Amino acid sequence: MYDWPHWIIVAVFSPLLGAVLTPVVSLRDRRVAPWWALGAMTVSSFAASMLVIRVAKEGPFSYLPGGWERPYGIELRFDEFSASVAIICLIGWLALLYSWRYTECMHDMPKARIPYYYTLVLLNLGGMMGLVVTGDLFNVFVFLEILSLSGYALVAISGEHIAEMAAFKYLLMGAISSLLVLFAIAILFSITGSLNMADVTVILSKTTYTTPAALALAMLAIGFMVKAALFPVHIWLPDAHSIAPSPVSAILSGLVVKVGIIGMVRVYSIYNGANLLDLHVFNQVLVWLGALSIVMGAFFAIFQDDIKLMLAYSTISNIGYIVMGLGLSTNFSVIGGTVHVFNHALIKATLFFAAGALIYRTGFRTLTDLRGVGRVMPLTCIAISIGAISIVGIPPTAGFLCKWYIALGAFEAGQPFFGFALIFGALFIFIYYIRMVNAFYFQEPTRPEILELSEAPASMLFPTLLLAALCLVMGILGRIPLTFIEPAAARLLTPLGG
Amino acid sequence: MFAALWHNIDYAAAVVLFCIGLYVVIAKDNLIKKFLGLNIMETAVFSFIVALGVVEGGDAPIMGPDARPPFTNPVPQALVLTGIVVAVSTTALALALIIRIYRQCGTIEADELREME
Repeated sequence: MYDWPHWIIVAVFSPLLGAVLTPVVSLRDRRVAPWWALGAMTVSSFAASMLVIRVAKEGPFSYLPGGWERPYGIELRFDEFSASVAIICLIGWLALLYSWRYTECMHDMPKARIPYYYTLVLLNLGGMMGLVVTGDLFNVFVFLEILSLSGYALVAISGEHIAEMAAFKYLLMGAISSLLVLFAIAILFSITGSLNMADVTVILSKTTYTTPAALALAMLAIGFMVKAALFPVHIWLPDAHSIAPSPVSAILSGLVVKVGIIGMVRVYSIYNGANLLDLHVFNQVLVWLGALSIVMGAFFAIFQDDIKLMLAYSTISNIGYIVMGLGLSTNFSVIGGTVHVFNHALIKATLFFAAGALIYRTGFRTLTDLRGVGRVMPLTCIAISIGAISIVGIPPTAGFLCKWYIALGAFEAGQPFFGFALIFGALFIFIYYIRMVNAFYFQEPTRPEILELSEAPASMLFPTLLLAALCLVMGILGRIPLTFIEPAAARLLTPLGG
Repeated sequence: MFAALWHNIDYAAAVVLFCIGLYVVIAKDNLIKKFLGLNIMETAVFSFIVALGVVEGGDAPIMGPDARPPFTNPVPQALVLTGIVVAVSTTALALALIIRIYRQCGTIEADELREME
């Protein structure tokens, strides 16, 4: 069952097809839209789980659409990193369920626009699924644009005061980064005459064109860094992620920025495999930018009163952890970094879902206004506390193991300074999450009307609590993803034929 | 050096155009001008890709009794076609956003918008 070859196409195209058809099926009754979207995502999730089972049993495999042999046709390649389709499906599915009630409270958005909202979410998810499974460089660009364009529109859709400005800023930076990626892909094509990643790697390892190849590497790295919102190019992120509707924030912050990381992993595997350039300097740049992101993201987050803005800054610092893990390029750190892609998605989605539930019920979004909300919405606040503990990295939770691995990697690479930077960043993060928990539980409410509210509706509570539970479970069963990703990390770090 | 540059004048032109576009995006305050800069960058990348496929004296790669190599590489043109579709959708979305910004704030100058925030 799991080795039916076409699951990979089903997984990618059911959200894309579902997206296109959403406005059509909800023409008569727009209440159909969320259920239709959930259906499309369920099909995709099923296919994705088959793919993950197959990669766990057989190792990486390829799919050639139309039967065209590579390098002439497009190749879809499913390896251990592509197993992130599982987390995309999980969070995507839960976000769609969550949106069902959440879209009702978005007063600035006309009700007639709701089906288009689901179209955009599905397009975004489909684009991500496509990007993580493709083995073709130009396909990377196409899927990157599908998910970016739908992302820009989703930021603007809430219709809040500065939503359009935030979306425009996001679009401007995103479009420039996409063009850099496309330019770099064109340069690689001019060197190798191929667009297939495996083929490009082989040809690159034999060429002597080091300067254009280095230029392409730099452009790809900058392009994907903008998408991942690493420190100096993060400026689009805080506004975009905090102004978007909460389920969309969860998708953007948990998944879309990780796509930049996955892109970077792909680039890294091409260049490390080809062994054409000395990547030492490149790695050092990544490590430094990662460390700066950790500290600066955490630093800015401390001064935020707006709960979603705080979470958005915390994403920057977590991206820093992942990039630092990649840059240290030891076995431990790469495993820790790539697993943190998965765990941070869980944690950040929990936090944004919980924050969204608070905003949905109370209508307030600053910590000052939300004081004392823990008394009336205990379950939501438990979820947010679990998320907070996980993101700091206190042992029995999901955040701990990856950060531990990255720190181990720093010591293994002989750069203990970065290990300390990591711990220092975790302390900063601890400060601002403590502030949040303190406000919810221990401070007197500034808005007494909060005390008359009740818990969030079940369709919003269920995704939040499920993800919070997963944060705990992944902390206890943390070895499973670590051992799962190990062969892929080892492959990433060894050059071709070496 | 100059001979090499002259030989690759099409690539050099694409890079110059790209930088001009980037300058416009960064330096101009008007959002539409910013976006025009982005369009210039897109054009630069597309012309670079098309230039990659050119073979001197090459024919269109259409098979038939009269077909005689060398042929122009058709792959870059197929890529650019896709790229143009993406560029058009980006442009449409950006212009729609600019219209909504203008309706809400009454201006599309970036410095005035920054004051409003």
